[in-house]
Amino acid sequence: MELLQQLGLGFAVALQPQNLFYCFLGVFIGTLIGVLPGIGPVGAMSLLLPATFKVAPEAAIIMLAGIYYGAMYGGSTTSILVNIPGEAASVVTCLDGYQMARQGRAGPALAMAAFGSFIAGTLSIVGLMLLAPPLSRVAIAFGPPEYFSLMVLGLTILIYLAHGSMAKALLLAAVGIVLGLVGLDSINARPRLTFDRMELVDGVGLVPIVMGLFGVAEVLLNIEETIKREVFDTKIRGLLPSAADWVASRWALVRGSLVGFFLGILPGGGAVIASFLSYALEKRLSKHPERFGKGAIEGVAAPEAANNAATGGAFIPLLTLGVPPNVVMALLLGAFMIHGVQPGPLMMKQNPGLFWGIIASMYIGNLMLLILNLPLIGIWVQVLKIPYRILFPLILLFCLIGVYTVSNAIFDIYVMIAFGVVGYLMKKFAYEPAPLVLAFVLGPLLENNLRKSLILSQGDFALFFTRPISAVCLTLTLVLLVSPLVPQLGKKRQAIALEEVS
Amino acid sequence: MNRADIASSLFWGAVGAYVCSAGWALELGSVRDPGSGFLLFWIGVIMVGLSLGIFAGALRRRAGEGPQLAFGARWRRVVLVVAALFAYAWALGWLGFVATTVVLLVVLFKGVEPQRWSVALAGAVASALVAYAVFQLWLGAQLPAGVFELR
Repeated sequence: MELLQQLGLGFAVALQPQNLFYCFLGVFIGTLIGVLPGIGPVGAMSLLLPATFKVAPEAAIIMLAGIYYGAMYGGSTTSILVNIPGEAASVVTCLDGYQMARQGRAGPALAMAAFGSFIAGTLSIVGLMLLAPPLSRVAIAFGPPEYFSLMVLGLTILIYLAHGSMAKALLLAAVGIVLGLVGLDSINARPRLTFDRMELVDGVGLVPIVMGLFGVAEVLLNIEETIKREVFDTKIRGLLPSAADWVASRWALVRGSLVGFFLGILPGGGAVIASFLSYALEKRLSKHPERFGKGAIEGVAAPEAANNAATGGAFIPLLTLGVPPNVVMALLLGAFMIHGVQPGPLMMKQNPGLFWGIIASMYIGNLMLLILNLPLIGIWVQVLKIPYRILFPLILLFCLIGVYTVSNAIFDIYVMIAFGVVGYLMKKFAYEPAPLVLAFVLGPLLENNLRKSLILSQGDFALFFTRPISAVCLTLTLVLLVSPLVPQLGKKRQAIALEEVS
Repeated sequence: MNRADIASSLFWGAVGAYVCSAGWALELGSVRDPGSGFLLFWIGVIMVGLSLGIFAGALRRRAGEGPQLAFGARWRRVVLVVAALFAYAWALGWLGFVATTVVLLVVLFKGVEPQRWSVALAGAVASALVAYAVFQLWLGAQLPAGVFELR
């Protein structure tokens, strides 16, 4: 009963005209950037962060969240029609979605992606609504050792699941922590790694780093290669899936939603891994696995359900613990802080309107996406026809404006370009940027909690192992770090990474 | 031997060594009361250790094994775009948003995959003005006015 009351409060917030407008704007922009290859939700959210400074925190977070789950919807359109995923989480949708389009079934593929996303997105919000309150109550008991160990575990999972070399992922996480520590020491206000530059006293900005690594670097990589896009020019007919399509997809939708939701909660997990895992699961459980890759509609339904369910799940650690499980949530944490809100166990009590407003807006946003996606497919197809030679200067321009307007500092533009070059070189040298960004956000929190824990325990490291939650997190961390050294487990981990790359 | 990994491990090893020395200079404190350089120092040590691990792994690899440095045939475009972006950042403060943006967009439209002059110029001017209208006039961003004092 209390839950319904709180949800009612959330809907009262989400249905305010301003919040409805920003929700619509968020899901619309999210779908658009999901459709456009070369700019992802991280880039778009960083770009629009400054535009939210003048609005209320509710409207700002509702819009930014809308971009995230909207991008998951939009990403499938390019996968199906062009065989180029607009989003990393839609890579696997190419396999069967594009084949369906080639067989003249682009309509049902697009519609199943939209319905699947809607169903999974809604289920994940129900999960978020049910799980967040009890988790928040547990999280109130968390002290510095628990937070420290949880962050170490989150980073380790991300590193464990990173593509290729685990040593490289660990190294970049270390670099991220160092970058996060640039600026004044939060305990004694001593400047660290500032090189006597005033611009660095407040630390390096998250937005220039993210825009550089994910926006500029992506453009640099794309202009080096020729992107060939062949968009289906024929009119898309028969949009609605048939009864047989629904029967074939029903369990794929359920399983995809569950896999996506729980992987989304996991720190370091998220939409990309969820989509791959759910596809692999469907193929394994299917009576006709040979149909996969040749236009099986379950191959579209499962990953699309999974990547949308993961977005709902990812909100749980952020809203209840204040710990972002992935890069997008790290950026959202930054947005919360800019608006003077500290996500975590107390948020539900201190800001119930904001907390439940975000959840309610996601219901509304999912409905908007369903209404938006099906009739607007024609427009998205036209957007896909814009040549990259026209698109990339505009993407760069948005990155430049986005970075400058966050702080009105030209220095941040230099930082963004530098990280663009670093991101480009990282790709060439087979390093993955995600651990760096998450570690950058968690670095200061990690240090703060480590130092507080050591001061509390008078330098006794046993504290981390005598408190149960902390001990469990650190034990899991050790298992994950040591497992690649066990040959069989190492091979298994590499197989996951390779599967994701391919 | 994998040259890409050797080069990257040497680079990160040097960065790690610098972080170690910076942490040391900031004072480590004690385990009971860690100082400003405590975490930096130990992260630097971890970076050096990991770099050595990657370096050793690269030496053991056969030629052609592992990541290979491969730049596309059009890597010059990457250099051009990066140079244009740095020039943009340098000129933005004194030339102002609109003028600098028009020049940057013309360079990008013409330099990477050459368009007709009319397309490049019209596209650059229109994009700069639309961006100015949206961000400066509608959203109230404070874009640099420059010598032309266009605000």
